Amino acid sequence: MPSDSVAALLQRHRANEDLNAAVISAAARNALDLAADAVVGPLDERIIEATGAALDAGHTHYEPVPGIDELRAALAQHLSEATGAGWDAANLLVTAGMQESRFLTLQLIDAGDGATALPQVLHPGVRKALGTRPRETVSLAVDAERRLPRLQAIRAALEGGSRLLYMESPSRLTGATLDADEMAAIATLLADHDASAIIDRGLAPWVAGAVAAPTERVALIGEAFPGAGIASWLAGYIAVPEDWLPPIQSQKQIMAICTATPAQFGALEAGNLYTEEQPPRLEHMQALRSSLQDRARAAGLDALAGGAASVLALRLSASQKAQGLTRLAEASYQVADGSDFGAPDLLRLTVCDAAQAALDLLADA
Amino acid sequence: MPERKKSGTNLLYSMMAEAASYDDAVIMGRGDPDFDTPEHIIAAAKEAMVQNHSDSSPPEGLPELREAIAARVERVNGVAYDPASEIVVTNGGQEALFLMVLTLIGPGDEMIVPEPNYNTYLDSTRFAGGRQIEVDTFPQQNFRADPADVRRNVNERTKALLLVSPNNPAASVISPQDMRDLVQIACDHDLFIISDEIYDLFVYDDVVHTSAAAMPGARERTLTLNALSKAYSMTGWRVGWVTGPAPLMERLRELKAAITGATSIISQYAGIAALTGPQEPVQMMADTYVRRRRAVLQALDEMGIEYGVPEGGQFIFADIGFTGMDSMQFAQRVLTEQHVLVYPGSAFSEARKQYIRMTFLQPEDKLREGLERMKIAMEGIRAELGNGSAS
Ligand SMILES: Cc1ncc(COP(=O)(O)O)c(C=O)c1O
Repeated sequence: MPSDSVAALLQRHRANEDLNAAVISAAARNALDLAADAVVGPLDERIIEATGAALDAGHTHYEPVPGIDELRAALAQHLSEATGAGWDAANLLVTAGMQESRFLTLQLIDAGDGATALPQVLHPGVRKALGTRPRETVSLAVDAERRLPRLQAIRAALEGGSRLLYMESPSRLTGATLDADEMAAIATLLADHDASAIIDRGLAPWVAGAVAAPTERVALIGEAFPGAGIASWLAGYIAVPEDWLPPIQSQKQIMAICTATPAQFGALEAGNLYTEEQPPRLEHMQALRSSLQDRARAAGLDALAGGAASVLALRLSASQKAQGLTRLAEASYQVADGSDFGAPDLLRLTVCDAAQAALDLLADA
Repeated sequence: MPERKKSGTNLLYSMMAEAASYDDAVIMGRGDPDFDTPEHIIAAAKEAMVQNHSDSSPPEGLPELREAIAARVERVNGVAYDPASEIVVTNGGQEALFLMVLTLIGPGDEMIVPEPNYNTYLDSTRFAGGRQIEVDTFPQQNFRADPADVRRNVNERTKALLLVSPNNPAASVISPQDMRDLVQIACDHDLFIISDEIYDLFVYDDVVHTSAAAMPGARERTLTLNALSKAYSMTGWRVGWVTGPAPLMERLRELKAAITGATSIISQYAGIAALTGPQEPVQMMADTYVRRRRAVLQALDEMGIEYGVPEGGQFIFADIGFTGMDSMQFAQRVLTEQHVLVYPGSAFSEARKQYIRMTFLQPEDKLREGLERMKIAMEGIRAELGNGSAS
């Protein structure tokens, strides 16, 4: 952040006022929100009961910095089952959601003397988190279909001195994942170059089957037990080798003390219900996504194959996209614009019933 | 790896862990009120789980909460802020603090800080690449930050002035005249002010709380922090806020979006209930602190321990220098021998090795029990002093 005087700051602010007015009036419209990477479903009563009971029992005080033990243990168990690695509660830190997970890992994990390697296409929160205290970065080329980093780009970055790699698998934009062979190759590259990776696997619960991740030299981040209707309660996680945790935990203390107790106890109960509730939820979402994809393709739209059932990305020509965005805005729909992720030819819709009407508007554009 | 050293904060966490291992521990260390959150606030949170669980919030917080904050700040602190552009809701006072420092302090910038002070400011300033310039305060003057000393420390790198009033750990409160003078220094040298008013509802005897931003010339250069944690016994909910002029808040909002995004929706709804609901529980707690503070001061007098008279907040910063012990040794001994947790002053700064920080955030009978045990420890120390073996 530049360091302004009071006077310089006032001047800069005046220049921004018009812009702000435009943003506020856009936000004030009651838009149909298709911009999230997963729909917020109904909330199970058992989550309300469990969270309420925890508050009644006096869990209204500071909790330990890395999170309540039971939630750390539940997340560790879930990640161990999902990735085949041996995660333990001591590897886990509960965060106030995905953005804090991004910030803490990107700012506190050792990047050595090298640059942090970032795929060209990423959730915009990644660059924001890095921008708060900039680190040198290098860009990794991505493939055309999945928008995931190419192996040779990763190899070149590591050979060029990068020691920290950031990746999303599934991609936050397309939902596509790196397969087990690719992850194995990345794990070998990391070991060969004494490098580490941060992998956002927040959309992994929306993929049928396993989403591969290296078992070593890796920080895994994501939302804590998504899909249970508690997205805006904001609980996320960071899983790291135990010796990476102290600086992250120390920074979490400095900027938060702990994560909000209702969010933690809500996530804990979502975790208890996860093995029972997530499979039917996922099945429903997969069916919905596949019907949306068929509908898009039938209307001549280029829907990417993707992977995670919670998002559908469309590839559009520049004019198609501009017209489509205008039509969507007129009808008060909000969608995620690939430009914000580094993929200007894409739009992303949340997979949900309302997406059908949005697709029809796009098809007509 | 970014700069890291065993900070005072980490030290305190290891002592808390030891205290937690004793069944009969009396915790007079941490600033966490013993009262649970008032029931009507919990009820509102449950209601929000049913009605508003999926609402989304912008990074700056729900408009309704920002309006409630604006009303509170105008009523209590006498400053009007526009909820749309001059208030950002945060994950507790702690995030508010971090964001304020990051908004104002960049690499090479200096911030003048009356010392002792809440140690997270140092950690945050380090993160931002800035430096703290400490101005000493003394128990004989109840840890008053002398405006003349502050002025002497201003130089071309000075960017901001930190005012924590009531103070943690020193429990001092900046008087209206001193506040006017301190603000004048900021105006004269074009400095920003960071004002931490998290304990503004807790002032004792005839002391009054003065908000920096309410002083002439201060509003455009002041960021003020407050939170529900201490006043409403809501430390676990993580709801705080920053108020300030729109140009500064615009930058602070960007940082909030980049660092954590929005604040948990259930906590925000609980926050609305806290600020707009009945305020009697706050008054009841504040009245209790008055009684407990008196009990602690009386016990310290009996033990012959000196302190700066705590004018506000929830702490007492006491001088144990006469024991010849370093505060770390002292706190460790009281903890291990008597299972009473007090914080060593050295956790706040190297220069405060002869102080301990005590809270009165325990039920009165427990406090008395803790103080009795401290007395026993003190008698032991005095006896050793008598035969020259205290350590
Ligand atoms: C002076 C001061 N500021 C800010 C905070 C942060 O409080 P919280 O994050 O719990 O709201 C504290 C906590 O002890 C404090 O003493």
